[in-house]
Amino acid sequence: MTTPVAHGSGTAPTDRRTATLRKRARSAVARSAAVDRVLAVVIGLVLLAAGILVALLAYGVFGSARAGRPLLDPLIVDAFRAQPDVYRLVAIACGVLLVLVGLTWAARSLRPERRPDVVLDGGPDTAIVVSSSAAADAVAAQAATLPGVGRARARMVGTDEAPALRITLWLADDADVREVLARLHDEVLAAACASLGLAALPVAVRLELDPSGAPPRVS
Amino acid sequence: MRMLLRLLAPLIGLAMAAAGVLIVIEVVAGWARSNVSRGLVVPWHRWRAAIENLSWDQPPVAGVAIAVAVVGLLLVLVGLLARRSVITIDGPAPEITVTTSPRVVARLVGRRVRAIGDIFSASVTASPRKVSVVAQVWGEADPELRSAVRARVDELLDELPLHRRPRVAVSVQERKGAR
Repeated sequence: MTTPVAHGSGTAPTDRRTATLRKRARSAVARSAAVDRVLAVVIGLVLLAAGILVALLAYGVFGSARAGRPLLDPLIVDAFRAQPDVYRLVAIACGVLLVLVGLTWAARSLRPERRPDVVLDGGPDTAIVVSSSAAADAVAAQAATLPGVGRARARMVGTDEAPALRITLWLADDADVREVLARLHDEVLAAACASLGLAALPVAVRLELDPSGAPPRVS
Repeated sequence: MRMLLRLLAPLIGLAMAAAGVLIVIEVVAGWARSNVSRGLVVPWHRWRAAIENLSWDQPPVAGVAIAVAVVGLLLVLVGLLARRSVITIDGPAPEITVTTSPRVVARLVGRRVRAIGDIFSASVTASPRKVSVVAQVWGEADPELRSAVRARVDELLDELPLHRRPRVAVSVQERKGAR
């Protein structure tokens, strides 16, 4: 009688949790450039549209009389002079907006990526903090011992509340990728989660080929 | 492209902020010193005199407009092309995302193809959707060689737990002359 309800209410939170972990793991793959890309495209489109419209106006597409008028049209100057304070306030608002958007964008682009420390539950009066580099180096050192892995590098990413791990593995040419990933999950990450007291740690793995294992191009 | 965007983003942001600061300074200075027609930092009174006497159809206007449009187009292209080109591999658990670069897949495919005896060189181009192999042999190529190369590539792709299997295109080129 209760089976459908129990199933529905039990699996939904698990699915949500799995989806959240998957999303965090995908976010950990690399630093997001979405904001930079969107702003670059928007600014580019504005410049492109303005340039094309002015070029068409200059070549007389909108009429030769319009093309013959001065850039600073007396009609516009008269409109400014009719209500100077309004236009000054508009100009100041535009300037402040440019400053805010520009500085926010520049600061966001230049800010180094966060490396959150891992805080262990040490009881009510104790906080045990494992530094991000210590946690990441321990995982990388263990991952580098897996068969087929030549080198490994790891770093913590994300926030203090939602940490994730980004790990790069340099594999030998003949490495069994499935086995390496399975052992990474079962041996390295499981041990890391247990020792850090984390229920789950989203991980983004980047696979590269170990350049030292490449055969010589000329023999 | 991604590196170019990383370089351009702070520069454009700082340029926007500098332009905003100049606008605010000039407007406030012009408002406060209403009887002065000279700019505080920017010589806008000279610019104003120039654009009052310049019409839209005069020479520099169209050239500058085209240059602005080209810069805009380049920015749009940089923004659109600055995507990560990665090949996704199925991880052993949902909380593990595994990616690799097309270069890695190309190198693995190339190594596997070059191991076939008749082939003396192979060039491989890989993307998340397609793997193209151009294999070169000396002299007359065995008619079965193309299918042998394809079988080797398919075998490798079966071994890799790729999230999305790319299409495989194989061509065999015959090289004539002395070896």
